[in-house]
Amino acid sequence: MKILLCCAAGMSTSLIVEKMKKAAETRNMDVTIEAVSVDEIENVIQDYDVVLLGPQVKYKKNQLQKLGDKHGKKVDVINPVDYGLVKGDKILDFAIKLREDE
Amino acid sequence: MKKVDEVYKGLIDIFNKANNEGVTAIQLSDHLNLHRSSISRYLNQLYKEGKVEKIQGRPVLYKPKEERTNVGDNQNKVNIFQKVIGSNESLNIPIQQAKAAILYPPNGLHTLILGETGVGKTMFAELMYDFAKESEVIYKDAPFVSFNCADYADNPQLLLGQLFGVKKGAYTGADKDKDGLLKKADGGILFLDEVHRLPPVGQEMLFTYIDKGFFRRLGDTENVIYSKVLIISATTENPQSYLLKTFTRRIPMIINLPSLEERSLKERLQLIEEFFKEESKRIGMSIYVDKKCLISLLLYDCPNNIGQLKGDIKLACAKAFLNYKSQNRDYILVTCKDLPQYAKKGIMKIKDSRKEVESILGSKGEILRFFYNEEENKISSHDHYNKDNFYDVIENKVNTLKNIGIQEHEISEIVNINIENYFKKYMGDITNKLRRDEISKIVDGEILNIVEEILEKAQKKLNKEYNEKIYYSLALHLNSTVQRIKEGHKIFNPKLNFIRLNYSDEFLVSMELAKIIESKLDIELPLDEIGYITMFLAADKYDEENLTKDDRVGVLVIMHGNSTASSMVEVANRLVGEEHAKALDMPLNASPEELYNSAKEKVIEIDNGKGVLLMVDMGSLTNFGDMLYEDTGVKVITIEMVSTLLVIEACRKAVMGRSLKEIYNSCINTNPYLRKKSSRVKDVCVEKKNVIVTACFTGEGAAERLKNILKEKLNIEEDVKIIPLTLLDRKEFLERLEHLKKDNEILSIVGTIDIDIPDIPFISAHEIIAGNGIERLREIIDNEIIYEKIGKSLGCHLENIDSSIAVSHIRKILTDIQNDLSIVLSRDVLIGIILHMCFMLEKIKEGKAQIVYKNKEELFKKYSREYNIVERHIKSLENIFNVEIITDEICYIVRTIIENSVKFN
Repeated sequence: MKILLCCAAGMSTSLIVEKMKKAAETRNMDVTIEAVSVDEIENVIQDYDVVLLGPQVKYKKNQLQKLGDKHGKKVDVINPVDYGLVKGDKILDFAIKLREDE
Repeated sequence: MKKVDEVYKGLIDIFNKANNEGVTAIQLSDHLNLHRSSISRYLNQLYKEGKVEKIQGRPVLYKPKEERTNVGDNQNKVNIFQKVIGSNESLNIPIQQAKAAILYPPNGLHTLILGETGVGKTMFAELMYDFAKESEVIYKDAPFVSFNCADYADNPQLLLGQLFGVKKGAYTGADKDKDGLLKKADGGILFLDEVHRLPPVGQEMLFTYIDKGFFRRLGDTENVIYSKVLIISATTENPQSYLLKTFTRRIPMIINLPSLEERSLKERLQLIEEFFKEESKRIGMSIYVDKKCLISLLLYDCPNNIGQLKGDIKLACAKAFLNYKSQNRDYILVTCKDLPQYAKKGIMKIKDSRKEVESILGSKGEILRFFYNEEENKISSHDHYNKDNFYDVIENKVNTLKNIGIQEHEISEIVNINIENYFKKYMGDITNKLRRDEISKIVDGEILNIVEEILEKAQKKLNKEYNEKIYYSLALHLNSTVQRIKEGHKIFNPKLNFIRLNYSDEFLVSMELAKIIESKLDIELPLDEIGYITMFLAADKYDEENLTKDDRVGVLVIMHGNSTASSMVEVANRLVGEEHAKALDMPLNASPEELYNSAKEKVIEIDNGKGVLLMVDMGSLTNFGDMLYEDTGVKVITIEMVSTLLVIEACRKAVMGRSLKEIYNSCINTNPYLRKKSSRVKDVCVEKKNVIVTACFTGEGAAERLKNILKEKLNIEEDVKIIPLTLLDRKEFLERLEHLKKDNEILSIVGTIDIDIPDIPFISAHEIIAGNGIERLREIIDNEIIYEKIGKSLGCHLENIDSSIAVSHIRKILTDIQNDLSIVLSRDVLIGIILHMCFMLEKIKEGKAQIVYKNKEELFKKYSREYNIVERHIKSLENIFNVEIITDEICYIVRTIIENSVKFN
């Protein structure tokens, strides 16, 4: 499964990527997780299954959703509490659920 | 009198006597006793100035170009003295005396004019001459001979010769008979300036003449010369001086001319206007004068009186004219910069005469225009802007503060203070001035209709009555607002946040009203303006909030050095607009005991029962506070390492009626040195417990019950303590709160009586029981807990910064940014940004390559204001974490904030 994380500058998400990867490891899941800044998303979206947004780029959701629809990808904002507390586990769950909803 | 004018006058005299035929240079030379070549030079100068005509021939004849005499003219007859500035005020008595001196039968009274240098003695004597002609006491062509006794003071013989004439052979070089001025003035007036320089012999001769009506030429013992002359003498000497005593005995009429200082400001203004007008005539263009410059001219020390004032104005005009020429401006504008250094200081004296200045300049605009109008012969001051509007007042303040180097964010703080006072005054002034029919002349009909409509709406919504006063003032205000917006000027309301918080109902209504105004007038009202409208709607509340002076905390500044404290206090008081802070200078040689005693006296003097803030620089002074408290019982808190900015802050808060503790705290926050100290303390005790305070009068009944209700309803699983406190003594309550704050984070106060504590939300008991108080409290707790948790959970991921401290600082910054930008960020977004910034700090600390923001220019262009505000707040992190935050980082944050923000309107 390929997950794309996205925030303002690709800064805060990098830690979350790490935590999610760890969580996936313990579950023996094979995932690819990358973090990019909001401006880069357009170039890479087709390579991923779901797109998770940091709460601070919530304003972009509608616009990115349209982009996602075009490529058949789900886009959603990470729960701010999970985000704030860097809960890799829960965010991974969220990503999986988002993909299953498809 | 200048030589050239003397020549001109001499020419006229001879010309009139000589049946209006041309005059030769030789005739003039004899008449004036000046060398012919000088006469020719002056005549040429006069010719160039167009005052004199030449009749070519040998010798060349000269005649004055225009008939000088315009006496007999009816209008002038009434006006000759009336035209003089101050004729009905400070000069009223001198003028009465002068008239009496001239008209007294049979030949008038010899007169002595007393007055300081530059008060206009010569001019006054000339006026008397004109009046004499006008009253037909003397002939139209009667001479006016002017002589300055100082001119020949080094050579008494020459002087006496000038005055009384010389007989041939009287002394070496006296090779022919010569008439003196006393003879030349026959039938007219002899003006003797600086008469105290007349040597004793000359005085005796003069007195003889005064007594007997005749005199003798020097060296002539036989012939006496009769001459009918009215003598007007003048001196700057003290009339009590030895010399003048003899004079005052012999000369019947003594006229005292007031010094500039003795004249009213209103008269001084008229003089200033007159001089600007003269300059305007000279230049042939209008002259614009900045109001501040005008105030300086009104108030500066001008020891040489009107003469100096006139000279300084001339100089200022000349400088302004130079700027106009050299910088290709469209107009001549005189500002403070054009004044001499000593005159610039005038503006500093405004505090002593603010009222008077306001009363005479109040109706004038910020820029005044002077021009010479032949018909009216009267200046007119033209208001550039709508008078009496907030914006100019505020902008001016802001500019003044900027000029003395105070930072922008501090400025808005300082400007805060006066705006309410100003507002009140504005409202008060307006109704006195206007009637309904008059307002329609000033304010556009459409605006009047809108105001009527919106006020009616506001009345219904707020369930209040608005009187005519509000109607007028709002109409006037809106009129200038519209004009301002259309002209593209910015509107700035430094009290916006305060208004939104304190008059939230009115603010909401104002937003609705703004929509009406916007749609009807097709303009866009900024939030700052809505703030102003709110002030009108809430105007009734202002009166209640009036503080009496007795409620204020005293501020005493003590500094080493002869005038350090005084000058700091002067600046602070001036900016705050009130003489609130007091200074005590401590010269280095003063003994500490002496100083302590003076400090004690001052503290007792300025304490109003609210305590005194002691602001000191260093050394033993820092111990004074406690000693003073023990000695006097007055509550004294000391702040050390004080700067001017800090004194301003303290003064401002004190005038606003804040408590001693509050003032102390805000000073600590203002002073970077003290703040560093206190934030270091904070670093040590990171673990603060969350506390909710419940309060009632006893601290037992209602407060205890509230505690139980909260416990039950809130289902607090987190670590939140609820502490009941008594409210009986407010002071004590505040102290206990302060104490609690040290180790705890006070989330909220729940109480039976409203307690307004800055930065701590208050929820009333009523809301808890019957309203949504519990939900609000829950939200507050959740908010606090989540941030706290974020801080903790990041702790294990961040190595270079203390995440809890980072989170709490970043939160504070984000709150401030939201306030300053008038935006609201949702909690999600806040969390996101906090995380982002924590990582940012961590990475900078690590020294990892920082990010690049691509379209910086575009962002700067579009959001310069937002960028500046955000940058200012973010930069405050640099000190705390010892990092450097680059522009690119800030750009990212600015963009995130803007894109996510919900605009308040």
